[in-house]
Amino acid sequence: MEIVRQIKYKPARVAGGYTDRLLKIDLGSREIAVEKLAPDFKDKYTGGRGYALKAIWDGTTGETRYDSPENILVMASGPLGNEPGFPGTGKFIVGTISPMTGTFIDSNVGGHFGPLLKLAGFDALAVTGISEEEVVILIDGDARTIAIAEAPGYDEETDDGALSFGDRLLKDLNNGEYSDCLAAVSAGKGALHARYGLIHSLYYDIRRRRIRAKQAGRGGTGTVMRAKKLKSIVVRSSLSKANGNKPVDKKGVRAAGRALKQVIAKADPTQLHLSAWGTTILSEYMDKFHIFPVDNYQYGQSPDSAKLFAHVFLDNYFSHRMPDGCYYGCNLACAKGAENVGLTRGPAAGRKVSVDGPEYETVGAVCCMGIFDPQFVMEYNWYCDEYGLDVISTGVTISFFMECFERGYLSAEDIGYELNFGDIAAADRCLHEIAGGRGFGKVAGQGVARGKTWVAKKYAARNKASQDEVMAELSKFGMEVKGLEFSMYVTKESLAQQGGYGLALKGPQHDEAWLIFIDQVYQELPTLEDKAAALKWFPLIRTWFNATGLCKLHWIDVRNPEAVATDEPSKNLPTLAHYIDYLNATTGSRKSLQDILDDSERLYILQKLINLRQGKGTRESDQIPLRAMAPAFFNEYQSRAEYYDLWLGQNGGVKKLPASPRQRHKLLIERRKRDYQQLCDAVYEKKGFTPEGIPRRETVARFGLLDKQASRLLDEMGA
Amino acid sequence: MNENMIVTIEFLGTQRILAGADSIETPITARSRVRDALEYVIDKYPQLKLDKDTALVVVNQQLALRDQILKDSDTISFVPFISGG
Repeated sequence: MEIVRQIKYKPARVAGGYTDRLLKIDLGSREIAVEKLAPDFKDKYTGGRGYALKAIWDGTTGETRYDSPENILVMASGPLGNEPGFPGTGKFIVGTISPMTGTFIDSNVGGHFGPLLKLAGFDALAVTGISEEEVVILIDGDARTIAIAEAPGYDEETDDGALSFGDRLLKDLNNGEYSDCLAAVSAGKGALHARYGLIHSLYYDIRRRRIRAKQAGRGGTGTVMRAKKLKSIVVRSSLSKANGNKPVDKKGVRAAGRALKQVIAKADPTQLHLSAWGTTILSEYMDKFHIFPVDNYQYGQSPDSAKLFAHVFLDNYFSHRMPDGCYYGCNLACAKGAENVGLTRGPAAGRKVSVDGPEYETVGAVCCMGIFDPQFVMEYNWYCDEYGLDVISTGVTISFFMECFERGYLSAEDIGYELNFGDIAAADRCLHEIAGGRGFGKVAGQGVARGKTWVAKKYAARNKASQDEVMAELSKFGMEVKGLEFSMYVTKESLAQQGGYGLALKGPQHDEAWLIFIDQVYQELPTLEDKAAALKWFPLIRTWFNATGLCKLHWIDVRNPEAVATDEPSKNLPTLAHYIDYLNATTGSRKSLQDILDDSERLYILQKLINLRQGKGTRESDQIPLRAMAPAFFNEYQSRAEYYDLWLGQNGGVKKLPASPRQRHKLLIERRKRDYQQLCDAVYEKKGFTPEGIPRRETVARFGLLDKQASRLLDEMGA
Repeated sequence: MNENMIVTIEFLGTQRILAGADSIETPITARSRVRDALEYVIDKYPQLKLDKDTALVVVNQQLALRDQILKDSDTISFVPFISGG
């Protein structure tokens, strides 16, 4: 491997969860710099998402696009990442300007990369510039070197594969052997051709004795990486992971970790049992409550859904009795995987491969295409991973075009073949075309938002129709907001989750607010005020997890038995108390829950400012497709007509139902649209925003964010 | 018991494995409440570890209070806490 630039450095040691060092690499100029962060930097920006937001705010402009040299690809754990004594500390975030949304995106991912980066001396890594040739970055905390090297060439199959290339690189850099002292991130061939390329976090699993992959899946972070001609980053550190954070109060960390592990061990087996089933268990519950996104979110259920329930994967694919945590010390261990899965389709047909997953989102993406074949789920999972494509955006985009085809907006000539819901061969073909940038894949690789424009132009020209009118129809079922595809939940019956998606700053990904069960099933948010309050509180606490290097599942998907006695069980406050103890023991702070919410709100407002600057920050950008709030077409209404009629009477304030079903459908849509606008008003008010969704000047000032750039921006916005 | 009135108790996810069944049917009376069905399941399937105070009971896909009267052909299930990834 030819080193094109290398520096020596002295790795800073972690103390109280931080190294206070930022590694900056410009691939254009090949400059490598270690920046010492000011002592108060961490106080203001916490870590993880906070560090990424600050880098993007300062280092990019409103004109920066995903492939601009100045765009920054940030990777950062946080002060609480890397503590095997506490569960779920392998997380780090990847933040950048997204090819999908044109604004800030971050995606959180597990594995060993974040912890090892910290042990190698860095709280965060920021990559700018565009290299002339394909390169890799090597951060070696043992050798005390940081290098940019020409990407090695193996063979075409390995070089194209996000999994294969990263796997080979990790082995080659360690004398042909895997080691848990090394971890990597990688992006694949799909990221060269699609806007929704992802970044893998690759780590050595000592139990399975192979490299495993977790994904920073959303928003096209891998596409940014490949636009920089960066194929992989490898980090190495042999320092002990145990006590790696050098906490201020080691006993306190142990006590907090022990307490949380006990909650998980006691409660998870009687609840979702993620430790045994992984997140595929969600499919059954989503189907039960009409939330499974069947046929591009038209229907929430299908008679075929049971073919994709968790027991199918447990019985036929998952390795049994395997503690599958993505980082040491996690006893929730939800990262399920399968070995020796035979591929029957695509260019690798006939091979037997290891599959990391499927997760619920992968299963949901396949049912979104109207497909209920578990073998296809496994193959779709592997191919998306090998190509480095986001399973969610890939599935939702193909589903959108399937519906365009079935509703007559596209013909077989437009696509090159018939593309119907449930057609495995067609979906499979489309997937490989997307990854290769071939045929219709060139269009599908652009995602739903750009796909709508493409279809509208084509259809309007052919039929001499108004392009705007066609666009309006397509926007009813094109499941994207701000340019990002929805994740895999039908929100028609949960107003709170409609806001959870529409108001999410990065676009409709559920990691900002997943309120659907709390609202629709548990009915813990009965009023508009309750929903608005939840849409302020949950995004803030979830931001904190993304800023500190923590997995949220232990808090959010395992309810502490003690929570039932609290005023707001959905907040799971008894478990959050363990997190606050852990924070204070690690860093030496004395923070309360309100303190960390305030810390998060600063980051939230900063992200909102970036959205405003990038043209995605006002009320207009928070609007959701009709299908996200109501049955968009009559066939959807008909599928649950009795329920919807009942809803109109009970929730819609309709005393006398119209006589015809079509009139009732129309009325339902009117009510749902009205409700969503009322929700926006209530949430903006709660967050200190104007009715246009712009933070009020005093709100920005309250968090110390009213710098020159922010002030000018708010002036321009009239706020 | 009036044997003409029957409710179905569904076992979802992990519960299906622990109970060894997808669902069971059980007779109810005109005065049977959600609480009675829950106590019946707790008694018959202790391995589910349902808590009589905290278990979330859903009847016909609607969250049900303990005092709710059951009707013939109701479908009852017990839902874990799910708050998303």
